[in-house]
Amino acid sequence: MNMIQVNGDPLAWSAGMTVRDVLTLRRFTFPMLVITVDGDLVDRKDYDTAPVPDGADVQVLHLMSGG
Amino acid sequence: MSSNTIQADYPQFHRCEVDFTTRTEYVEGMEALKAAHQVLKEWTFTPSLPERGYTNRTLYLNVGTLEIRERPVTQQMKDVFTGGRGFGLWHLWNAVTPKTRWNDPENEIIIMPGPVSGITQYPGSGKSLVVSLSPQTEIPIDSNVGGYFGPLLKFSGYDGLEIQGKSDQELIVFIDGQKGLLRVETAPAEPVDSHVLAEILTHMYAEDEKDRVNISVVSAGSAAEHSLIGMLNFSWYDKRRGCIRLKQAGRGGIGTVFRDKKIKALVIRGPEVKGDLNHPKDFETIARTGIKLHKELRSNDPVQCLMRRNGTAHIVEIMDAYDLLPVHNYQYGSHPETHKIASYIWDQRCTQRTADGCWYGCSMACAKGADGVELRTGPYKGHRVTVDGPEYENAAGLGSNCGVFDAEYLLELNFYCDTYGICTITYATICAFVMECYQRGILDKERTGGLDLTWGNAVDDLEMMHQMARGEGFGKIAGLGVKRMKELFIRNGWGDPDLINDIGMENKGLEYSQYMSKESLAQQGGYALTNKGPQHDEAWLIFMDMVNKQLPTFEDKAEALYYFPLFRTWFGLYGWCKLPWNDVAPSDNAKTSEPAKIPEHVQNYLDIAGAMRGVKLTSEDMLNESARVYNFQRIFNIRMGKGLRVHDHAPYRSIGPVTREEYESRIERYEKELREQAGIDPAGLTLEEKMAATRKYRTDRYEKLVDTVYARRGWTLDGVPTQARVKELGLDVFPELVEIVKAYGG
Amino acid sequence: MRQLRIDMGKCNAGRDCRHECEEACAVKVFKLDGPEHAALHIRELPDGTGQAILCDQCGDCVVVCPADALKRNKMGTVVLDKNLCVGCYTCIGFCEKHAFERNPEWVVPFKCIACGICVKACPHAALEIVDVPTPDYRII
Repeated sequence: MNMIQVNGDPLAWSAGMTVRDVLTLRRFTFPMLVITVDGDLVDRKDYDTAPVPDGADVQVLHLMSGG
Repeated sequence: MSSNTIQADYPQFHRCEVDFTTRTEYVEGMEALKAAHQVLKEWTFTPSLPERGYTNRTLYLNVGTLEIRERPVTQQMKDVFTGGRGFGLWHLWNAVTPKTRWNDPENEIIIMPGPVSGITQYPGSGKSLVVSLSPQTEIPIDSNVGGYFGPLLKFSGYDGLEIQGKSDQELIVFIDGQKGLLRVETAPAEPVDSHVLAEILTHMYAEDEKDRVNISVVSAGSAAEHSLIGMLNFSWYDKRRGCIRLKQAGRGGIGTVFRDKKIKALVIRGPEVKGDLNHPKDFETIARTGIKLHKELRSNDPVQCLMRRNGTAHIVEIMDAYDLLPVHNYQYGSHPETHKIASYIWDQRCTQRTADGCWYGCSMACAKGADGVELRTGPYKGHRVTVDGPEYENAAGLGSNCGVFDAEYLLELNFYCDTYGICTITYATICAFVMECYQRGILDKERTGGLDLTWGNAVDDLEMMHQMARGEGFGKIAGLGVKRMKELFIRNGWGDPDLINDIGMENKGLEYSQYMSKESLAQQGGYALTNKGPQHDEAWLIFMDMVNKQLPTFEDKAEALYYFPLFRTWFGLYGWCKLPWNDVAPSDNAKTSEPAKIPEHVQNYLDIAGAMRGVKLTSEDMLNESARVYNFQRIFNIRMGKGLRVHDHAPYRSIGPVTREEYESRIERYEKELREQAGIDPAGLTLEEKMAATRKYRTDRYEKLVDTVYARRGWTLDGVPTQARVKELGLDVFPELVEIVKAYGG
Repeated sequence: MRQLRIDMGKCNAGRDCRHECEEACAVKVFKLDGPEHAALHIRELPDGTGQAILCDQCGDCVVVCPADALKRNKMGTVVLDKNLCVGCYTCIGFCEKHAFERNPEWVVPFKCIACGICVKACPHAALEIVDVPTPDYRII
């Protein structure tokens, strides 16, 4: 397939992709995120290593903030 | 520093080692200023402290007739309006008639802290709401402010202050909450600019150096006298720096009302602040919850929003990364020079290693200050000052929205807005508008009187502000605000009326604040379907809508536009700052069922409000308390001649791309939308045809949103609360409210 | 600066004593009824080791106090000025060593002032007051 969904939008997948890669590719720099991969919550400390498999449904919820 | 900041590619700045204890001083000659005062009236009162958050009386002063009296806070007021903004709107309702104009003596400036204002344990508990009829919108404005005035007023004995009337000579109103004395005195000689005036008056009215922390000054500035966009500064004394600091009741032009009444300053001298002066029913709960949040900020702020280091400016580069930073009057969402005004610049430039809360106990401490700023322009050129800020709004507004990417000029723009008493958000959007008009030939050097308003020209931007302060030149015209400038430029035949109306970012007469709503339907409603005008304090939904995709349907958006304005209104009833609610989160927040609402913090607020008042509050109570005030304000707007659907109209720049360049800058997005959402194939259409198709699609979509939101709020399709809704909220206890909605088909 | 220091080897986590240090601190220094809210605590841990909760006068609290009520005195010890304190508990929240105490009767919190009363009370001479270089203030 070589494709994942990030908040419902497609993103090209590559072997060894991690959550951190998704954030970098999407320029998701917001500091307060809640991330699930196929429904499983990923702890912040694991962003650099948590794998994202091919075809995964990734939800990157940005908490609201905003002045 | 967060690993999310994109600073690796940019030059490292040396950490700023500025001596933050030195600056230009202004107290020389203070005795002569004081000697020129004449006491017009003295009035004594018995100071008191609140019980369960309320002193149960407010203070009324008429600066024209010099009538002074106390008003009781009734049980009905508490039941219907709770406090803060609710009380403020209630008093204003009773003070004015539908015919009252902002500069009539009947208009009031009402300062209302809330029942938790003044507690020291929970971050963000020092806020007051200021209410008045706005010179810009001509309906009530409610403006939220930190600083010490509100809590000190409360600890002197009053749940709030109402000022009515107009004086024919310059006045200072001094309230001494230690001695129980109110003095109205003439003040002919003091300068009006806040950074000077607040310092002089803090020294003048404090009995000694230690007493200065008990003084707070409310003041405006010279630009507030010559424009409609004046704001109020609320001061506090920063012991470590040895100077006054300023927070602002920014939006709506209340500073203009203040100077129109010829009030130079309000000064409060409160008692020494201790931790339990609100006399809550249950102090332990408040203490424990406060300590919990201090600990949470200690461990989580450094890896979340870095508020303690950068204040709200931490999101400048983030907004740029998401293409949401307002650039060049909201035309674009990012700029290659944003790194020059991003958070890591402020991390270095602002003084760290001090406690920057705008009320005691706020450990979110986001009121950062940049010390040792040497001013380059204006009447204070060469002076060394401390600048309060910048906040996000200043960096995005005065900065990127106007094309200014120079950090030191940004600080100077911020500084002069503050001391001149004008709102930075409003001025920024005004400046962005005139700069775009200049770009497009609607304005030129002849029409601006020689000002070169090219994007990024900070020097002429500052000169425009100095003109506003002097009440002359194009600066004076700019001070009318975007709405009146649009009308003026169109009347003068200076440009295409449709273009001018499309790019003038105002709604109800108030300028938009510094977020890009163009691609977020929810935020378009979040701005235009507000009570006061397009201020983001009602709803900030951009990420929820555009990034999280959590609001896919109209009903989802309407639900958010029903809930969040009510939720956020609640803070203003109690005297809370909203930032500690969601600019920091508990470590396990991600595991909760609704992480965007930060459920543990919501519970903190319910616990503390309940512990203060001696009641048990649920989330439903929270929404009902707010809904009463929110709908009351809507009906108040209708009473004053606005508050209907036609007034919730949004300028097209806030909804979609106005110009060819805007369209082309995001062409894939717009073509995709035409194809997938509007069912129109863009292939074969000219650019003009595509622009027209997008415009029709988006404007129709906005109207549909308005329909859905009104229905969810219990309003008619014309935006009038229905009688059923009014009854449901218990507001029919005031028959006049029912009469008004009935008259407008509610 | 003057700092209270403990030798856990001599202390043995309170197994061989009656926590005289905590008792003396609470009763003699802070005039409290019992050791529950003393300005130092000695705890036995389940694994047989011990833990001492003490103030090391690091000065983090000096930086965060909004009322400027915490300052180093002439001996370099961090002391709280009760008259300036506004009872906000930022110090309690930000102290990484949990060295601050509060009790339900007082609005103002309190902490170790390196007075040495506990040193005298300890039957094993595990506590001492030492003079060490004053650290620089941190940005926290």
